[in-house]
Amino acid sequence: MDSVASGIQEPFDLIRLSLSERVFVKLRGDRELTGVLHAYDGHMNLILSDVEETIMIVDQPEGAVNGPSTVNIAKRKMDMLFVRGDGVILVSRKYIKWGAALSMSY
Amino acid sequence: MSFFGFAEKNLESEKRRFLEDAARGAREEDLAVYTWGEDSYDGLGDALQEGGDELNDETFGGTGAVGKDFDFSNTTLLDDSHTKPSKSPKVQDPLARPQVAQQSATGTPQPTQPSRTSHSLESVWDDKSPFSVLPRMNGAGRTVGHASHSAKFTTHTSTPAQSLLSQQSTSLSLGENAHKDVHTLEEIEAEMLAAAAARQLQLQAQAQAEVQAQALPHALSQAQLRAQPPRQGTPQHAATPPPRMHPHSQSPRFHQQQQQHQIHILQLQQLQQQQQQQQLLELQEQRERQHQQQLRELQQQLRLEELERQRQLRLQQMQAGAANHLQSQAVHQRHGSLSPSLSDRNLRHGRSPAAMTPRAQLEAPFQQSMQYLPQDIQMQQRLLAEMAQAEFMNSMQAGVQSEREAREEREMQEVLRQEAMRKIMEAEKSEEKRRRKLAKIAHMARYNDLMTQSDKDFITRIQVSQLVTQDPYADDFYAQVYSALLRSRMGAQPQDERVIKFGSAGGVGLGFGQRGPGRRQNALQRMEAQVERIVQNARLREKEKISLNSLQGALGKTSGRSYKAAPRQLLQVDSTSPTPSPAHAHISKADVVASRDGAGATREAAKFGREALATTGDAKARKDPLTQREALMIIERLYDIVLDIEQHKREEESIEDEEEHEAWSKRLEQLIEQLWQGLQVTVYFETSNPHPFVSLLTPIKGKRLLPRIARHFNPDQMRIVLTLILACFAQLDVVKHASILDSLHDTVERRDVENQTQAFVGSVVQTLLPLIAKTDLKMIRGYLGILLEPNTAFSAFRTGPGLALLTLLLSRVAVLKQNMASATEISEMPSPEELAEWQQQLNHLFELIGPHLLTLFPSVRIGIISGLGFANVPNADVLDQPVWQFLASLAVHAQQEQQHILVTSLREMVLECVASVQKGWVTDPEDRKLRLNNVNLFLHALGLDASQIAV
Repeated sequence: MDSVASGIQEPFDLIRLSLSERVFVKLRGDRELTGVLHAYDGHMNLILSDVEETIMIVDQPEGAVNGPSTVNIAKRKMDMLFVRGDGVILVSRKYIKWGAALSMSY
Repeated sequence: MSFFGFAEKNLESEKRRFLEDAARGAREEDLAVYTWGEDSYDGLGDALQEGGDELNDETFGGTGAVGKDFDFSNTTLLDDSHTKPSKSPKVQDPLARPQVAQQSATGTPQPTQPSRTSHSLESVWDDKSPFSVLPRMNGAGRTVGHASHSAKFTTHTSTPAQSLLSQQSTSLSLGENAHKDVHTLEEIEAEMLAAAAARQLQLQAQAQAEVQAQALPHALSQAQLRAQPPRQGTPQHAATPPPRMHPHSQSPRFHQQQQQHQIHILQLQQLQQQQQQQQLLELQEQRERQHQQQLRELQQQLRLEELERQRQLRLQQMQAGAANHLQSQAVHQRHGSLSPSLSDRNLRHGRSPAAMTPRAQLEAPFQQSMQYLPQDIQMQQRLLAEMAQAEFMNSMQAGVQSEREAREEREMQEVLRQEAMRKIMEAEKSEEKRRRKLAKIAHMARYNDLMTQSDKDFITRIQVSQLVTQDPYADDFYAQVYSALLRSRMGAQPQDERVIKFGSAGGVGLGFGQRGPGRRQNALQRMEAQVERIVQNARLREKEKISLNSLQGALGKTSGRSYKAAPRQLLQVDSTSPTPSPAHAHISKADVVASRDGAGATREAAKFGREALATTGDAKARKDPLTQREALMIIERLYDIVLDIEQHKREEESIEDEEEHEAWSKRLEQLIEQLWQGLQVTVYFETSNPHPFVSLLTPIKGKRLLPRIARHFNPDQMRIVLTLILACFAQLDVVKHASILDSLHDTVERRDVENQTQAFVGSVVQTLLPLIAKTDLKMIRGYLGILLEPNTAFSAFRTGPGLALLTLLLSRVAVLKQNMASATEISEMPSPEELAEWQQQLNHLFELIGPHLLTLFPSVRIGIISGLGFANVPNADVLDQPVWQFLASLAVHAQQEQQHILVTSLREMVLECVASVQKGWVTDPEDRKLRLNNVNLFLHALGLDASQIAV
């Protein structure tokens, strides 16, 4: 559809499509969020609800530069979250992976 | 001398002359350097090793013989070599001050740098001090040195009090200076102390005089106050108000009279209350005059003393007279309990002003009276109350009274006293509050008039300019709509948009309507004026710019004033396009143009139409289903259209012209048509799987969109929508994913499906409800037929939305049957043939549903999957409620044998539920109630009740 294809004029149009949808947000500092996007602005400030934050913590033993490092994952949930835009790296729609048993045609 | 061979004759001679002058001056004025010591001087200078200075001259060039070729700084050494070879090591200057001081003290003036600095410092100081004439007056006298010292001293002291002292010492020492030699530090300090003491003595005397003035007519004391030599600049005095502010309403005589009056009144018990009130009034008056606190304090002190004396006297009398009286015990107790406070009182107020130390006297009235006053008055009030009490007792004892009577009287007295106390306390409290408020206002008043009106205007302009937008209504949309709703709810007449518009340039949204007149109203008016001014200014600026442009090509430099020029634009945004508002500014322009531009809209509509025709023409033209992104984009556009329609409908009010209205309705039709086409409802059913419309319903905002657009469509259009939803029922996401709800695991998917289902039932089914409620039997049969088609039937039975729709249809039929029985709506009356057909369809439904009756229940399904019994499934009653409702609506239509089928199939379920309730397996009373209600829903439809079932 031409009109649809031409509906996207600038990057923010893509984010607008995700309004009130579940999105995946990658943040600086090894953090990731999934939540329902409610609002955003030109600074990429976001308002999310029903958020789950995933924090990756890399523990490297002292002194060992090339030594084995362990990655711990911390998770937490929030009902509502304001995300300041300067930490946002990426915003994408979160696709729900329906079980294989369900015949899905997405 | 000359490093580069410059002749410095002139310079040199001038310098010499200057230095000689300075030397003379220094001789006269002596050195002020010893003032460096004073308080802050740490004495380190004295600790310096003074020995080993022999080679200093050679090292630092003290002798003139040393060449000057390397003296790049060309400083003091130069002078020395020309004036007087001095032994003083000037290079050590900062450290050698004490030494210099010594020298100067011994009366050998040197033309040293410190002397010059002191000279210059002095000259600065002299301009301001009243002693600037001294050096000239005293000619060659050495005393000038002292003057300069004290002057310098003041420059080094920081606190005003000290400066005051120093000034005073100056003034005092002036007289002595004439016949005194150079003072040492100690001498000067002693002098200053003496002066301060003298001054305090003087103050004390004045205070005493003020106290004495209490006995005199008030005017006299005032006169005395005025007669005091003005000591401006003294901090204590600055704190006291000028005498002219002294109010005249309460003279000492008045007080005296009142005192006597009080004594008389106190005899009479009835008048006591009145007395208290009077005091209250007086109290307030007193508080209002905070300016004269110092005087007031003294007055009260005196008065209090007198009162106390009287009281003591009375008490003594009383005690003596009532020694053998029965009541004397009580009086004693009273007295005893009172005495500590009394003695306190005496401690604080018993000291007469004369007995006070000078400092205390200075402090108490002037500085602390502010804090003490309320307490004092409070105390006084209490004392008065006590006194009245004692008085009353005294008079009572005089008469012959029985003990009982006396006690009663005393009790009453006590009550009255407490009442009075309470009143006093209240008054004090409110007074305190008021005082604090006043203090706060006074505190803030310091900043009064800091900004000029133009400053304020400037700031307002900045603030307002932030609010000006292209489309004030849309930018202020939610506030506008909300305020409109509020107004309509409150029954106020609907107003126009609450925005200020100026031309087509833009405007300011005003948000809420003001609530009543007041500050807000004023502020709004002011803001309007401001905005107008801004617009005016902007226009003027525009004009100016144009006139500047007209100068182009003329000779000479024509530069506009830079601050008026717009800043260089970093982003070239085409401002002529009808961008609706910044909020939507990021929506692509093409989108906007498509939705706003009439021509574009028709083109689009035509295209949709063609597409629809094409697909209907070629039934086999299958397409890929809409991708999620495509669906989302369409939804966004539909939302834009909906917003446009809503805005457009609001604009109807402002249209008066017939022609305009026609254009308006045409435009509305266009928009609605656009919306209709955008929904893709008319696209051929088998175009794709899922159908494009179903794809649009998949996101949660698509489901929520339906109720918003439904009101713009006519019933026929909505019927098409309903048919399409029923036909594509199995394609709906909520139906497809419904099985996820049958698991007990709380996953993201399950929550998502739950939300989606809720949204579907809440939005889509709710939208269809009024439609179904107006459908006749024939159409209902049609709908039911669609829903019961083999591929959809099963999914319909097993999902919440499906059951909800089935329930709706069945209950509509029930209503129709009822109407038929009561013969109300003839138009909807179904014919007998139709009824027969309906019965056939119902039989078919029973055939289909019969084997699955138990698995209709979510709790049963969950129980099977998870291995729990259905009764153990948490929250089962809530989940099962729609099923019971559906079964109830089904049972209403069921015939005898069908009812039998229902009962036999569900027998186990019903018994289980009733038993669990009756045997108390369900602990929560809420759950019990809900479960019983559920079962009864179904049983009542069959004409039964749960209470009839015996377990």
